[in-house]
Amino acid sequence: MSEKDQYKNRIELLQGTLDMLILQTLQWGPQHGYGIVQALRLRSGDVLQVETGSLYPALHRLERQGWVQSEWKQSESKQRARYYRITARGKKQLASDLGRWERIVEAIGSVMYVKPEESES
Amino acid sequence: MKWFPGFGFQRRKRELQEEIDAHLQMAIADRVARGEAEETARRAAAREFGNIPLVQDVTRDMWGQGGLEQLGRDIRYALRQLRKSPGFTIAATAMLTVAICANSTVFSWIDGTMLRPIPGARDTGDLVTLQRGERNFSPTPPFSYLDYRDLREQNHTFAGMLAYHNDWIALTGGAQPERVYIANVSAYFFDVLGIKPALGRFFLPEEETRRGAVPEVILSSSLWKTRYAADPAIVGKSIEVSRHPLTVIGVAPEGFIGAAPGLRDDLWVTLDPLGNDGWRMSHRDSDWLILIGRLRPGVSRGQAAQDLDTQMHHIVVAYPDQHLGDNRITLDPMWRSPFGVNGLMSATLPILLAFAALVLLLTCANVATLTLVRFVSRRRELAIRQSLGANRMQLVRQMVMEGALLSIVAGAVALLLTLWTSKSFGWFFPATSNPLVLNGTMDHEVVIGIVLFSLLSGMLCGALPAWRSSHAPAVEVLKAESASISGGSRNRKLLSGLVVAQIALSLPLLLCSGLFLRTLKNLAGANPGFEQDHILTASVGLSIAGYSRDETMVIRHKILDRVSALPGVKVASLTNWIPMTLIQKKSDAYPEGYAPRPHESLQVLMVDVSPRYFESLHIPVLEGREFTPDDKDKAPMVVIVDQTAAQHYWPGQDPLGKRLRVVGDGPLFTVVGVVRNSTHTFVNESPEPIVYRSIFQEGGVETTVQVETEGNPVDLAPAVENAIHSIDTRLPVFDVRPMRESTQMASTFAVLQSTLAGMFALIGLVLAVTGIYGVVAYRTQMRTHEIGIRMALGASRVDVLRLVLVQGLWLTGIGLALGLAFALGLTRFIARLLYGIGANDPVTVASVVMLLGAMSLLACYLPAHRAMRRNPVTAIREL
Repeated sequence: MSEKDQYKNRIELLQGTLDMLILQTLQWGPQHGYGIVQALRLRSGDVLQVETGSLYPALHRLERQGWVQSEWKQSESKQRARYYRITARGKKQLASDLGRWERIVEAIGSVMYVKPEESES
Repeated sequence: MKWFPGFGFQRRKRELQEEIDAHLQMAIADRVARGEAEETARRAAAREFGNIPLVQDVTRDMWGQGGLEQLGRDIRYALRQLRKSPGFTIAATAMLTVAICANSTVFSWIDGTMLRPIPGARDTGDLVTLQRGERNFSPTPPFSYLDYRDLREQNHTFAGMLAYHNDWIALTGGAQPERVYIANVSAYFFDVLGIKPALGRFFLPEEETRRGAVPEVILSSSLWKTRYAADPAIVGKSIEVSRHPLTVIGVAPEGFIGAAPGLRDDLWVTLDPLGNDGWRMSHRDSDWLILIGRLRPGVSRGQAAQDLDTQMHHIVVAYPDQHLGDNRITLDPMWRSPFGVNGLMSATLPILLAFAALVLLLTCANVATLTLVRFVSRRRELAIRQSLGANRMQLVRQMVMEGALLSIVAGAVALLLTLWTSKSFGWFFPATSNPLVLNGTMDHEVVIGIVLFSLLSGMLCGALPAWRSSHAPAVEVLKAESASISGGSRNRKLLSGLVVAQIALSLPLLLCSGLFLRTLKNLAGANPGFEQDHILTASVGLSIAGYSRDETMVIRHKILDRVSALPGVKVASLTNWIPMTLIQKKSDAYPEGYAPRPHESLQVLMVDVSPRYFESLHIPVLEGREFTPDDKDKAPMVVIVDQTAAQHYWPGQDPLGKRLRVVGDGPLFTVVGVVRNSTHTFVNESPEPIVYRSIFQEGGVETTVQVETEGNPVDLAPAVENAIHSIDTRLPVFDVRPMRESTQMASTFAVLQSTLAGMFALIGLVLAVTGIYGVVAYRTQMRTHEIGIRMALGASRVDVLRLVLVQGLWLTGIGLALGLAFALGLTRFIARLLYGIGANDPVTVASVVMLLGAMSLLACYLPAHRAMRRNPVTAIREL
């Protein structure tokens, strides 16, 4: 059962949000896969732990869609790594993702924070 | 496993590996920096990363429709899946191979006969063949030379029109005369067909009527090779045909065998090469030519027929006495040309191809069932892939690829098999005196056909289950317990539908094969009206070898005397025709005082026979007498007619003493006898009038000795041949065989139909029964747990048996009902091929329904029986 639940959680993270998170991370500068995982973990205060099994397929998908570009570079620690950079189209996509995300948050929020008497009337 | 190892793909694969390695290295470095031991850090980083091959696999899925690379990956994936279940793979491939091979074999026969009516000719689709008068499956040559000339020169719709006439003749000059099939051909014969000479030249247009010059001949490629050792200097040499010297002017290209589909010409000469056939060339009532025209571009067959009808009408008005009877002209495309064999082929082969297509559909339904059952057990794997980001299109593609792989392999094997089975067509045709060249061909069209059959079956086998599976929501599948995996209601419906389809498709196959088998039995048991069991026939090439008419008559008498004297011979007679060999000898008959109805054909069967012919065949003479040796040259001309002719021409009168002409202005023949009707061509023919002339009064070209023997006719063959050769060693004797063998020709197509339909029906039965067995067994297995609980709660074994049987029987019942409706709708298409049995014969219908029902019952009973005998305790434990 536990294995199944794991998959389930990952799907929920996947649906729409992972792409946006990756694009947002790349807004701050080109980054490699490991760097993206670390950045997301740090920024979210250790809450978001992105699975590599989701990250790399997502990166390669974004690249195919032309939202990111990649190149091989040396890292500060002399490690050759593949760096991803957000493209102009990627920025547009990020803006639209963000807009949708805000609408969802707002919508969910307005459902969740309704006062009890209002919902009963 | 290197499938399409594109450089790009390999490079990206390497880069992904490097990218993952870098990720791990950085993770380890971070951990080491935080103070972990190197070994611990390595293990932790690897654990954190997860399943590397799976990540790689799913990531590669993202690389998308990179053409060949994508295809290569789909193929690899499909191969991996197929290798996991070898039983399914082998069974499905074998079934598809058989089904595709059945289709491609029949198609290769169609291709070799109907689709390539004249090998070597250009654009045979523009060629049409002309019939005059009543349409007939095997008409005699319908046109006279002068009518042909008028039609050729006055029509407005043909780019060209050729005429030919076939006959047997002998190549003399060698040690033994060799019988060959010759064609007299008109001007433009080769031009209309679009044939170019391999050596020398073809006839010039002015040679059609030019007389007196040295006669010229063109050789077929095969004759040139076999008899003249492919002599490159053959052009200009002289060969002897019927004791006349002819000059070879050309050799036809390899493969070209003449204009009559399925018949082989060896030699071509002009219409009147020796200048001694002036009568045929100058009389409009001498019909001896077969016409083929090439339509002008843009002209339809209907327009051309109308044009020719108008021209023919002018001719009939100008020469009414030479054109009594029906003169309407009809045109046929070459694929169903009645001259040659295609008329018969086109009645049989398309029906057999339809049967084969049913078998293919049935097989696809069966393989789809198996695939679906397999996919149900793979739904978890598919759902996981989907949740990792593989889109539905990819999943569908991968599943379709499995079906496609199976059918490609099956198609490839079928292709190899068809190389051999296409040649099996010839086996169905018994030894015959016709120069038949019949066989399937294996050319690019058949290969394209096989590819299409494979694609179709691949789509049906793979796409159906794929479409079904791609609709399963991933989360639901992952959550689902195994029990409900087995029985999603939509899945169950599709499986049931496939089983019903298999039963419904196999029933028409069984019914048709049953009807064909009964037809064959009826044909074999039918009385043809003449004795054929103790008869030996031998043909003697008298006139083809160049004997004069007077010599022929003398030799005929001698043959009769010598053969009659042989020990073991009961009765010997002569004839120029053997019944039920697909050969028809026809001529116009003009009974004195008989007024034909408008458009009535005056053609009757007309054969020449000797005294004691009817005695040897046991055909009773009902009135008057048989021929006697005195019915010869100078005596009064006499004929004998059969009952049909007597009733047709002289209803209610005594036919004896009545008179008829054979040629419009020829001599009058007096009827001296009436014989009982007998079969002429097919057992199931409608009776046609026949007129017998005395062979000693008519100098017809063929002579066949017909001997009624005491014992086995084969034993007498050498003695008969020797007796004939004792008259003249140079006499060509051929086609020496028991009559029973020759008359098999009449049931060839019935044998062909019932053999193939029987084979197809057997395949259909096996597929349908294994199909229903597979589904019922699978479902029962899935319900093992439930059955165990039921039994633990007190259900008896009979209850369990009933539970399992009922669902199988429901499917069978629905399948039988649908199949019966389908079958009864289809049998009318084969009605005209049946004999002695109705297309919806209740006994046959009942027996095939019972057979299929019983087999299905058995197929359901086996899993039911197994379920019944399970120990409830182990059944519950098993999940």
